[in-house]
Amino acid sequence: MEEATIKLVNVNKHYGHGRGLVYALQDINFSAHPGELTLILGPSGSGKSTFLTIAGGLRQPSSGRVMLAGKDISKLNNKERDQLRLNRVGFVLQSYNLLPYLNVDEQFELVRKVKPNGNLTDDELTELLEELGIADLRSQYPDQLSGGQNQRVAIARALYTNPDIVLADEPTAALDSARVVVVGKELQRLADQRHKTVIVVTHDLRLKEHADRIYHINDGKLSREK
Amino acid sequence: MFLALKEIKHEKLRYSLVIGMIVLIAYLILMLLGLMQGLGNENTAAVESWGTKQVMLDKNANVSMNQSLIKKDEAQDLTKHEALVGQVPIVMKGINHGQKQSMQYFGLDDSQYLLKNKIQLVSGRKPRNDHELILDESLKEKGYRLGQQVKLNSLTTKFKVVGFAKNAKFNIAPLAIGSLNTWQALKGTGPQFVASGIWADQKVSNSRQNKLAHYDVKKFIKKLPGYTAQNTTFEFMIGFLLMISLIVIAIFLYILTMQKEAQYAVLRAQGIPAGFIVWSIIAQSVILMVSGVIVATLLAVGTSLAMPSTVPFMIIWPQTMLLDLALLIVGIVGSLLPVRMILKIDPVDALQ
Ligand SMILES: Nc1ncnc2c1ncn2[C@@H]1O[C@H](COP(=O)(O)OP(=O)(O)OP(=O)(O)O)[C@@H](O)[C@H]1O
Ligand SMILES: [Mg+2]
Repeated sequence: MEEATIKLVNVNKHYGHGRGLVYALQDINFSAHPGELTLILGPSGSGKSTFLTIAGGLRQPSSGRVMLAGKDISKLNNKERDQLRLNRVGFVLQSYNLLPYLNVDEQFELVRKVKPNGNLTDDELTELLEELGIADLRSQYPDQLSGGQNQRVAIARALYTNPDIVLADEPTAALDSARVVVVGKELQRLADQRHKTVIVVTHDLRLKEHADRIYHINDGKLSREK
Repeated sequence: MFLALKEIKHEKLRYSLVIGMIVLIAYLILMLLGLMQGLGNENTAAVESWGTKQVMLDKNANVSMNQSLIKKDEAQDLTKHEALVGQVPIVMKGINHGQKQSMQYFGLDDSQYLLKNKIQLVSGRKPRNDHELILDESLKEKGYRLGQQVKLNSLTTKFKVVGFAKNAKFNIAPLAIGSLNTWQALKGTGPQFVASGIWADQKVSNSRQNKLAHYDVKKFIKKLPGYTAQNTTFEFMIGFLLMISLIVIAIFLYILTMQKEAQYAVLRAQGIPAGFIVWSIIAQSVILMVSGVIVATLLAVGTSLAMPSTVPFMIIWPQTMLLDLALLIVGIVGSLLPVRMILKIDPVDALQ
């Protein structure tokens, strides 16, 4: 098996203190690998988002070690963490993935403004958009797209920087079953064909059939199902 | 710049309203400035357009032309850069037409530089005897005509209007310019007094130094009755309005930014640097202010052209540009509040 691109070792995260102390993550040991779609399932308040923000370098754990794309994130400053996210990680979120006042093409143009090099070439982008079935929507604004189309553009946006790692937080929350299948298949294909490390946190059981590995998270504790 | 322009282009209605608000605020402030400058000009038009550098008055007159009287022996041997000015407030009445008019009378000597070289006639000619007058051109709009007969105060003499001059205004009143003899009659002084003061178009130093008080023209203007009080009032109003517009603009930008906080959190999570977002907010504020201020300035210019010349309104470019610049700075300062908000956004908030 290839070396892990995300690795959490004995990670704990708590919020607040005294009587308000919440253990959002407890003794997490986890690794994710290129070419695999890892699904983390859990009910509301179980610690899914906390897990993803720590794994994605947005937040520091209270204790333990987090390795992201070969770097120990506790050793990076804010700027370096911005750079790491910009260059190596693609985020697909539940909402507001796209700026409402930019059309699809301009969403990618925005990325080029801050990261001129190392992105997909024009041909690769066209190919990706075709694969996602949104190639003819390039001049549309987000409010002219359906929920499923929006999420597929968000996936393309996340992949445009050519990241090794794709992190998705509830990517299917706003979608009906047919759309869930489309988005699930796309995420699966990112792992299988584009060899990305894909982690999806969700309470949507419909995504299970697309996953290579499945974990459950409950009260901040992680357990493996598959 | 990219985000700023794209957003304004996509949200036309919203940003037209914001620009509209800036236009109204800027227009209001520019109108006040125009009135301030217009009134200021009516105070000083004659003094300044005649190139006055120095004014000599009676030592006890407290820098007031009105209170000053100059004796014959104090006005000996005038150089060609000095001229007697006999000033007195009067009421003029047209004999056949022309409304009753409060104004200032200036008695000048036709052999001295003011009447010889400085009066800017727009029609007619200069007076040739004690019974002829030049009036400020604004009186044409009040029905006064060349050749018409007028009466001054309660003097029985009839005077004839022989010329109209521009910039003939002093202390917010139009001027009637005639002879020093007429001044004596209007003022009711004896022949021992020859004028109210001596104006000079360059600094002079001579024996009069000891007998008369010499004032720099800036000080003289400052002490014109009401001039400083009026300017201070306007300056305060403009200052307060700038402060209020700062607050209004800051609040507007703050609300606009607040509505987009979630979008910015996502951008930050995606690794887009805060500096990039900050610049686009400042750029947006500059674009909004510049377009609002340009429209407001054009409106103010249009207004000044449309207004009758009796309204004291005037656009003086250096001051107007300075105010425009101040408004631009207000816009940039106003965007600092939202900038603070951007810097405090936690990218974690992008995940629910
Ligand atoms: N900033 C915070 N301060 C205090 N407690 C927090 C904070 N963020 C999360 N928590 C708590 O930590 C626990 C885990 O929260 P988290 O947001 O990770 O859950 P989640 O699984 O993403 O839930 P959901 O499915 O509702 O999004 C919850 O009990 C929550 O109340
Ligand atoms: Mg969550």
